Amino acid sequence: MKKRVKRKFRLSPFTKSFRVRLYLIFTGTIALLTAAFVTFYVLTEINAYRSTLEREGRLLATILSQNARLPLFAENREALSALAEGTSRQSSVVSVLIIDQQGRVAAEARKVEIPQGETVKMEVEITSPSSVLSPESVLLGHQETDKQRVIGRVHLLLDMSAVRERLVNLVAASLAIGTLFWVAVSLLSYQVLKRVTSSFNMLMGGIEEIGSGKLSARVDLEGDDELARAANAINAMAASLELRELENLALQEELLKAMKLEVQEEKKLVMARLIQTNKMTSLGLLLSSMAHEINNPNASIRFSGYMIGKVWSDAVPLLDRVREEEGDFYLGGVPFEKARQAMADNAGKIVENSERIARVVQGLRDYGVGGDAHLHQKLELNAAVSAALSVLACQIKKDVQLKTSLGAGIPVIPGSQSQIEQVLINLILNAMQALDDGEGEVHLTTRHDAHNGEVVVEVSDNGVGIKPETMEHLFEPFYSTKLDRGGSGLGLYISQYIVVEHGGRLQLTSAPGKGTMARVVLPTAHAASVRGMVSAQNGQHAADALHQVG
Amino acid sequence: MQLLRFLLLALLLLIPLPAFGYDVLVLQSLHEKGYEEAVNGFKRECRASMRRVVLSEYAEADVTRITREEHPKLIVAVGDRALALAQKQNSTPVLYMMVLNPKPRRWATGVSMLLDPSRYLSVFEALGSQKVGVVYDPSRSGAYLKRAQAVAARSRVDLVLREVRAAKETPGVLQSLRGKVDALWMLPDATAVSPGATEAYFLFSQGERVPVVTFADVYLTMGGAVALTIDRFDIGRQLGGMAQSVLEGKPVEEIPPEHPRRAIIKSNDGVVRQLKLSSVTGR
Repeated sequence: MKKRVKRKFRLSPFTKSFRVRLYLIFTGTIALLTAAFVTFYVLTEINAYRSTLEREGRLLATILSQNARLPLFAENREALSALAEGTSRQSSVVSVLIIDQQGRVAAEARKVEIPQGETVKMEVEITSPSSVLSPESVLLGHQETDKQRVIGRVHLLLDMSAVRERLVNLVAASLAIGTLFWVAVSLLSYQVLKRVTSSFNMLMGGIEEIGSGKLSARVDLEGDDELARAANAINAMAASLELRELENLALQEELLKAMKLEVQEEKKLVMARLIQTNKMTSLGLLLSSMAHEINNPNASIRFSGYMIGKVWSDAVPLLDRVREEEGDFYLGGVPFEKARQAMADNAGKIVENSERIARVVQGLRDYGVGGDAHLHQKLELNAAVSAALSVLACQIKKDVQLKTSLGAGIPVIPGSQSQIEQVLINLILNAMQALDDGEGEVHLTTRHDAHNGEVVVEVSDNGVGIKPETMEHLFEPFYSTKLDRGGSGLGLYISQYIVVEHGGRLQLTSAPGKGTMARVVLPTAHAASVRGMVSAQNGQHAADALHQVG
Repeated sequence: MQLLRFLLLALLLLIPLPAFGYDVLVLQSLHEKGYEEAVNGFKRECRASMRRVVLSEYAEADVTRITREEHPKLIVAVGDRALALAQKQNSTPVLYMMVLNPKPRRWATGVSMLLDPSRYLSVFEALGSQKVGVVYDPSRSGAYLKRAQAVAARSRVDLVLREVRAAKETPGVLQSLRGKVDALWMLPDATAVSPGATEAYFLFSQGERVPVVTFADVYLTMGGAVALTIDRFDIGRQLGGMAQSVLEGKPVEEIPPEHPRRAIIKSNDGVVRQLKLSSVTGR
């Protein structure tokens, strides 16, 4: 119900106009002021008129009292009646009554037609003059007194019906004049408001146009008043917004272009990484295939070498007797005396190199295939280093001085030797690639930190070092400073993964121009389960402080 | 307390009053400015020793006892009440003053408050008035009017007399003088010139354009043309001279009552000018 009432009295859109509201306020205020003024004027006039009538009546009564003083003193009723009759003939007088000091009626006059309406009673005393004294008092020099002696009273009944008539006339005239005034002022105020608010409407129109998005719109107001200044400010704001919008559009276009470029670059990088990964995968497959293809003939070669050596060892006594009997002879263009030893050596070298090929191939195969079954295997750190070096034997350039310092007494720890070999291959390759122009030193050091229960292998170089901004991204996948040179960005990522899988940590310490040191720390927590110490293998002795690889 | 009052009263009554050695007992009706002026004039003229008794200060003054015990040579009565009281004794001569209508006995004389009628008549003559209207109460001013008529008979002034017995008759009586008089003589008659009727004289004067010659300058402000007023101090001096004669041995009976010897004439110049009268001031 309340909602209905509210809806009923809701202002129409027309009355929401600023001009209309101002006009309504003006006209309402003027109407109120006019009504107040008319009311005040009518009341004031009526009171003044009533006061005038009463004053006239009092004046009449006073004059009558003055005139009646002597006749009343002389008890001259005829004269008093004449005075009363004369006074009663006044239009506003209804009746006149003159009474003496004892309250007796001395004279009375009354209109024949007594008007129906408001009347006012007026009473005035008849007094003897205050300045008049008795002769004796005068002769004795008495002073005049203010005391007046009352010798009678005059009663007037005044007709106040004229007040009502005047009230009606006044109200009618005031309403007519007030209405005319209101209409005139309302029309005038409308014209004034129309003129004043035209600028305001223009301003509002401009603001709405700008607010709707048309920033090129302008408020066309001239002058130096507040509205004109506001219009100028709004125009300036719109111009500024327009400029900003244009700048935003340009920036957006640039951003889109940049994003497109970035996506393309990223795409290239991703593609390069994919290709690299694919290459690696292919390389793994190739290695497996190569291992298979190499192992078969290699086994045959080793067997042949073995057989040659076996046969030669059996043939040598026979050939010695031949030489003793028949003298020296040539075998393959070489005197038997020299060939006898060379043949045995060559057969041994065939076997030895064949075995070496077998180990290299096995190493490549293990690198390519990988696997987690090695976690439960036994890891000999020095053996892993040697295996890694054997894998990289062909990669090591002659300008690189590879120095190893393998610690003694390093315990066997649980872990995948092949995976640790992979880690070390990555670190050694990185170290060699970090050398300036491929020249420099790479140190490999292993040791056992019994105090902390750890085994440590460090790969350090004196290369260009790593910049601080690069250090932050070293362990991120696919991050590489050598993507253009075949880097995959996965080496350190995978290495850290493997080390962490072994419960250890991979630390890199570097400074630009001062080289880099990579430290792999592996725990020996389960070392107790692996009994026995292994000595240095493959001709490497613990006493070998330096093992130079040519 | 009651006993103390009784002892004091007994002491006052039993102890004989001391004999005051004075010659004149001044009985004054009340403290009044006019009386005071007259007494001062009297003292100025009469150097005899005197005692003054203001009667309004006593509930009832026994003048007979005072005269019997103090033996003043002369009693001076100031005012009507004092004269009436002084005449209750007959052992001491009485002089009176400031009495409006004195009715002296054989051993009393004095100066009345009424000027000699000839003074008024000379003023009327000077104003050129021949018929002068007079309203009076015979019981109050009858004797004065007889003397006035006698004086008027010897002059060019004809008095038109109207008697009133009550104050309310005055306005009506004055109306009866319309067109019959050239001037009005306002007497100090309490009946003819009552406060309520005083205005009638001046209304008559205004209506008939005749001057009113009155006895006090206070009436000049109400419309009177000329006023002949008494000099109260001089009346005292005049009576002082009489007293001096009595004290020197002249019998009171041989001294007739006198009118005030000095009169002050004042006029309302506006009224005189309007009525086109000749000025009489300075006489």
